[in-house]
Amino acid sequence: MARAIWSGSISFGMVTIPVKLYGATESKDIAFNLLHTSCGTRLKQMRWCPTDEAEVPWNETARGYEYAKGQFVVLTEEDFEKLPLPSKHTIDLSAFVAESEIDPVFYERSYYLAPDERAEKPYALLFQALEEKKLAAVATITIRKKEQLCVLRPQAGVLMLETLYYPDEIRAQPEVEIKTAKVSGRELEMAFTLIDLLRKPFDPAEYKDNYREALEKLIEAKLEGRDVVTAPAARETKVIDLADALRKSVEAARKGAKPKAAASRRRTAPAARRRTRKVS
Amino acid sequence: MRETVRRVIEQLDSVSPRLTLEVDGHELPVTNLDKELWPAAGRRKPLTKRDLLRYFARVSPWMLPHLADRPLFVTRFPNGIGGKSFFQKHWDPVPPFVRTVSIYSRAGDTDGDYIICENVATLLWLGQMAGLELHAWYSRTERAPDALGRGKRFTGSEAALDKSVLNYPDFVVFDLDPYLYSGKEARGAEPELHRRAFQRTRALALRVREQLARLGLETWVKTSGRTGLHLYLPIVRDLDFDAARGIAETIGQHALREHPREVTVEWAVERRKGKIFFDYNQNSRGKSLAVPYSPRQHAAGTVSTPVGWDEIESVYPTDFTLRTVPDRLERDGDPWAGILESKQDLGAILEAGSAG
Repeated sequence: MARAIWSGSISFGMVTIPVKLYGATESKDIAFNLLHTSCGTRLKQMRWCPTDEAEVPWNETARGYEYAKGQFVVLTEEDFEKLPLPSKHTIDLSAFVAESEIDPVFYERSYYLAPDERAEKPYALLFQALEEKKLAAVATITIRKKEQLCVLRPQAGVLMLETLYYPDEIRAQPEVEIKTAKVSGRELEMAFTLIDLLRKPFDPAEYKDNYREALEKLIEAKLEGRDVVTAPAARETKVIDLADALRKSVEAARKGAKPKAAASRRRTAPAARRRTRKVS
Repeated sequence: MRETVRRVIEQLDSVSPRLTLEVDGHELPVTNLDKELWPAAGRRKPLTKRDLLRYFARVSPWMLPHLADRPLFVTRFPNGIGGKSFFQKHWDPVPPFVRTVSIYSRAGDTDGDYIICENVATLLWLGQMAGLELHAWYSRTERAPDALGRGKRFTGSEAALDKSVLNYPDFVVFDLDPYLYSGKEARGAEPELHRRAFQRTRALALRVREQLARLGLETWVKTSGRTGLHLYLPIVRDLDFDAARGIAETIGQHALREHPREVTVEWAVERRKGKIFFDYNQNSRGKSLAVPYSPRQHAAGTVSTPVGWDEIESVYPTDFTLRTVPDRLERDGDPWAGILESKQDLGAILEAGSAG
């Protein structure tokens, strides 16, 4: 399974259940980079200060909240650290409700909860209890410094955690007037017939993202025709002529310089990840 | 050597599950000889520890030269390839016939003893411990003939090791690892070996070889013993690991540019899907690919096997197993014999290329 995005424990009365959280959904949207059309270089985002007319490094930045037009209150890292986050590594169960009581509009993101080492038993206990009672548990969890409302529900052998919007994050129904028109019995019958014709079980496999598929085909076709824009060889990594590039690497090495500082800096992180993969 | 091998094989022919092998005057107790390290599958018979020891003995004349003077670590499978495995780098104690070398390790900020496998007895000792997968450094402890000025102090600090001959690899290596799924894999499992994936990997290897040949560089190839191919570029030892990795990265990025539909250099495994992972990151001190003739964790008992470019079109990874490789070596010899005599002076070759 993918890497856990969070680990902690469920606290449920006197029982704590160590668990790991995994994302249950992923967006498959194709991402694009913004290029400069004249040279094909990937554009860089800059933090630009219009007053000083200069690029601003990260260490000269702060977060400001605009409380009135053009008026900011500045919050520092220390300010953020002072904020209370009670449920830091725990999922605190506070109530048990029937799933049908939660309107789908509240659901934000879905996660899988898996028991951590030696937690299979209490995990199974909570799972079975919820399943047999046909209930879901309302709880709070802190993910990425944000405390969130969530609900735990048993689903096909696994506990799902769904983060919920807080009620004040749900917009009120639009203030358009929906007039109650009169419908005749015959019209209703016709509507029923139509509905019955298309009535079938929900099978998500029947639906797919046609737009993405078309986009992928388009990209494939462009690659096939070698309609590929190549960024210019601004730096050593971006090379078109292999011999030239290799010559540069060797020369740099001979001079005693590291041929690619970036490559050696990166060394530790990939090496650690590599261990999770097979050794070739 | 051949006489040593013959005598070991004779002793292993005994039906006893435990023996004390006499190898070149050394005594080596071996146990659990009938333990199945590769279980039976379909019509395939199991391979036991006895089979592994026989294999190591028979291939030793061709395998040992590839291990000479190189710090070694192994992956042990005490309960066979289906069981738990673990890496082992440091050993204590070792039998008297095993050579060790003390090397500084940044991880513990201390020196640790590595073993060097330079005789049949050491190879069999590793086999006794179910050390199936052998990984040796790309650099050697000895300076002759192409690294005469380099240091021989490997202990005490990172700086000493950086200056030593162990920081100068004999090869730039590439691991071509297809992430082309057969469709039969379990969710999240590694891709399995299948014909189409291997054909594409082979085609890519041939193109990389051709590209480097145009620059006057000769590449050597072996099967990984699993799904992919390993490419080695033997070089004169005047470039350190950082330089080798820079060169490997340049070649990898070039391959990506040339074959964007075939090649990936992505770290995230899920992004490699459908492409061949061109892994140039193995060019680091202390990292290693499986050595030539190392068995691999594969149900068929496959072995990472050097092949000639003239035969690559007609071979398939499962052709080379513990059962077949000894005969192949006895019949045709080692296609990689002399790889260290074929070292290339990258700098000189590239300069010559630019002049002409």
